[in-house]
Amino acid sequence: MVEIGSSTMADRASLDRAILEQHFERILAANGPALSRLAASYTNTLSDRDDLLQEIAFAIWQALPRFRGESSERTFAFRIAHNRGITYLTRARSQTSGSIEDEEIEVHDPAPGPESDLAQRQRAGKLRQAVHRLPVAYRQVIMLTLEGLGYKEISEVLGISESNVGVRLNRARQLLHDLLENWK
Amino acid sequence: MNTDVELEIWREQWQRDTAVPVNLRRSVERQSRLMKIGLLADTVVTIVMGGGTTAWALRSTDADVALVAVATWVFLAAAWAFVLTANRGLWAPSALDTAAFVELSVRRCQSALTTIWFAGALFLCEVAFGLGWGYKHSVQGHAPLGNWLWFSSLRIDIVWICTVAFFGAMAWYRRKKRAELTSLLKLRGEMTAQNSE
Repeated sequence: MVEIGSSTMADRASLDRAILEQHFERILAANGPALSRLAASYTNTLSDRDDLLQEIAFAIWQALPRFRGESSERTFAFRIAHNRGITYLTRARSQTSGSIEDEEIEVHDPAPGPESDLAQRQRAGKLRQAVHRLPVAYRQVIMLTLEGLGYKEISEVLGISESNVGVRLNRARQLLHDLLENWK
Repeated sequence: MNTDVELEIWREQWQRDTAVPVNLRRSVERQSRLMKIGLLADTVVTIVMGGGTTAWALRSTDADVALVAVATWVFLAAAWAFVLTANRGLWAPSALDTAAFVELSVRRCQSALTTIWFAGALFLCEVAFGLGWGYKHSVQGHAPLGNWLWFSSLRIDIVWICTVAFFGAMAWYRRKKRAELTSLLKLRGEMTAQNSE
């Protein structure tokens, strides 16, 4: 009886883990590229981006058993990713004792499609550089907007009101526009 | 240019980078294993130190050995009590958003700085107890304490080397945490200021 009980419990645990793994794979498959871009906007080099992306994936894996579907999977993943980004930023700032905003990030477009000519890649690279130079509060809002999130989802990810999202987004867009104009 | 058109163009440019460069699944599994090993290591230290001295006391007829076992459990209990108290409310953010996460990070950093002081004090108590006990049972008899403490044997050398290494590590860790805290407070300030705009 005990053996049957422990066997059932083991089966149940194994099933739970399989479900969790499937869930995890689904979230990564759906949001992997966006999470990679998000990680890139918090870091300065490709290896740092990869490290941060691993941390984000691990944090999602850890938080997954507590995810009850109160928000969408995308909001859940982005919330964790931004929190990890903040941790990375804090660590990077404390190590360099200064702002990392002034450093150049690597411009990277590893998947050029048939339509992506040099000029397009350069424009995309400039956009990433410009986003990277924004103050973190504006950077977060513009990144999430560029990923296609609405005001409500952004407010859920960042823990600010929707009106604040609007204010920050307007300011971020203005700053981004000015930066890109200056680089023309 | 119309601002919405501009935003659409930016969105299209932004989403061109679609690479996911690493095998995330494997790294996640590795990190999970490391965390479990860390937790296991803490438990093993408690069992080995506490259990080891208890077993030693049970086998020995010397009352002073029982004192070592009791002191070891007192130190272990103090350490666990402090850790559990210091970590209260620090396991998870009050909400699942970034603002709450930054707040939690600030409190964790402050807690780590307090823990450094506690760890230093506990270490000093342990060293003082260990040296006192060692001096009482020293094979050199009751040599003057000053001479005994001043590199009189390999064991004493190891104690001083460990003490210097421990406080060196604590100083480095404190400096790192203070820098992190400064950075976090600055970040929180920036975010709060931009919220109130």
